[in-house]
Amino acid sequence: MKLSEIVKALKLEVCCGNCEIDVRYGCVGDLLSEVMAHAKPDSIWITVQSHVNIIAVSVITGIRAIVLCNAHSFSSEAIEKAKAEGVCLLRTDKSPFEIAGRLYGMGIEP
Amino acid sequence: MEKVLDRVQSFFLDMSVLEVMNPNVISVRPDRTLRQVKEILRIKRISGVPVVDSERKIVGIVSIEDIIKALEGGYIDEKVQNHMTKNVVCLKSSDTLKEVIETFEKYSYGRFPVVDENNRVLGIVTKNDVMMALLAKLGLVYLHDERRKEVLESPDYFDRSLITGESLDKSGADFYFPIDYYDINLAGVGASKLRQFLLSKGVDPEMARRVAIATYEAETNVVIHSGSTGAIYCFIKPDSIFVRVEDTGKGIDNVELAMKEGYSTAPDHVRELGFGAGMGFTNMKRCSDNLMVVSKVGAGVVVEMEFRRNREGSR
Repeated sequence: MKLSEIVKALKLEVCCGNCEIDVRYGCVGDLLSEVMAHAKPDSIWITVQSHVNIIAVSVITGIRAIVLCNAHSFSSEAIEKAKAEGVCLLRTDKSPFEIAGRLYGMGIEP
Repeated sequence: MEKVLDRVQSFFLDMSVLEVMNPNVISVRPDRTLRQVKEILRIKRISGVPVVDSERKIVGIVSIEDIIKALEGGYIDEKVQNHMTKNVVCLKSSDTLKEVIETFEKYSYGRFPVVDENNRVLGIVTKNDVMMALLAKLGLVYLHDERRKEVLESPDYFDRSLITGESLDKSGADFYFPIDYYDINLAGVGASKLRQFLLSKGVDPEMARRVAIATYEAETNVVIHSGSTGAIYCFIKPDSIFVRVEDTGKGIDNVELAMKEGYSTAPDHVRELGFGAGMGFTNMKRCSDNLMVVSKVGAGVVVEMEFRRNREGSR
């Protein structure tokens, strides 16, 4: 599914990155090792973890986009790193639960 | 070389004055006579004493030169308060060895009291104290160096593969990354670079991914736990990829316990960043086909992982 469709449907704020990419799977988690263990390539990652290391985790596991929930903000370092690595950063006021539910409903696979 | 010198220099110059000073200060009250001071200097074999009030606040200093002048001038039985040096140059408890040396250069005095923010005497620094502190610190450096040498030179521990037992020519590694940073923000740089390197060598993306995940965990462990620097080596073999991550830090006391899922000794500030889930070794085990961990407390940790190429193909 095109990331841009998701951004539009869930009214996500785009912090950086190209939204004309495809994502197939979804994962939720705030513990980096947990995400490393379970995330699949071409995933969209729902989290409240805004620390710059989320970018390294994404690059290594093949996560294409990160949705930061509950109105948290990315640090400028994280945004710079994401731009350099080509990871799309999104944010929202909504909870991880709601975002996960909506994505599941739209057909994003577990 | 310059870098090494810089590091050594800061290692010494950043020492706190509290590490340098002698905390057992012999001092006198202002109402004592200079003759009494002369006796104290003689018996204690010292060359000067700070003068303090009833709250141990510094009010002056008397040196052996003042005593000589008193003997010459015939006022040796007069009170200290009338002949002491009143403008005492003091060091602050927040000063470092750098400031101590600068103070010695700037003033010709032989000793400087160290005072707290209320001017209370905490200790005293003479050139002898500086020398002794440097020697003590050198002793530590020397010990550390010997310990490293032992680790580095032990063929069984550092130069042989833990998995195959073969001796390892690290200089022949296909990929090398020094983990020479302590900043948790940078954790994973080496693993990301390794992933890119593997992809550039035409390694299957799924395989590059599991190598990178396992390496990320090992690299993060070095940054969070070792308290030292380390290195990542990767060897590409026809049917497998071999990664070794090593450090010379504090080591793991109980490897078996550390391997347990959920077990972590990460401090809270690191956990808040999403680390310390106790999943590191679990992820390494899961991603690799062969994992070996060897550690000696105080000598470091070596993690070796083998990734077989046929795993992707057989799926």
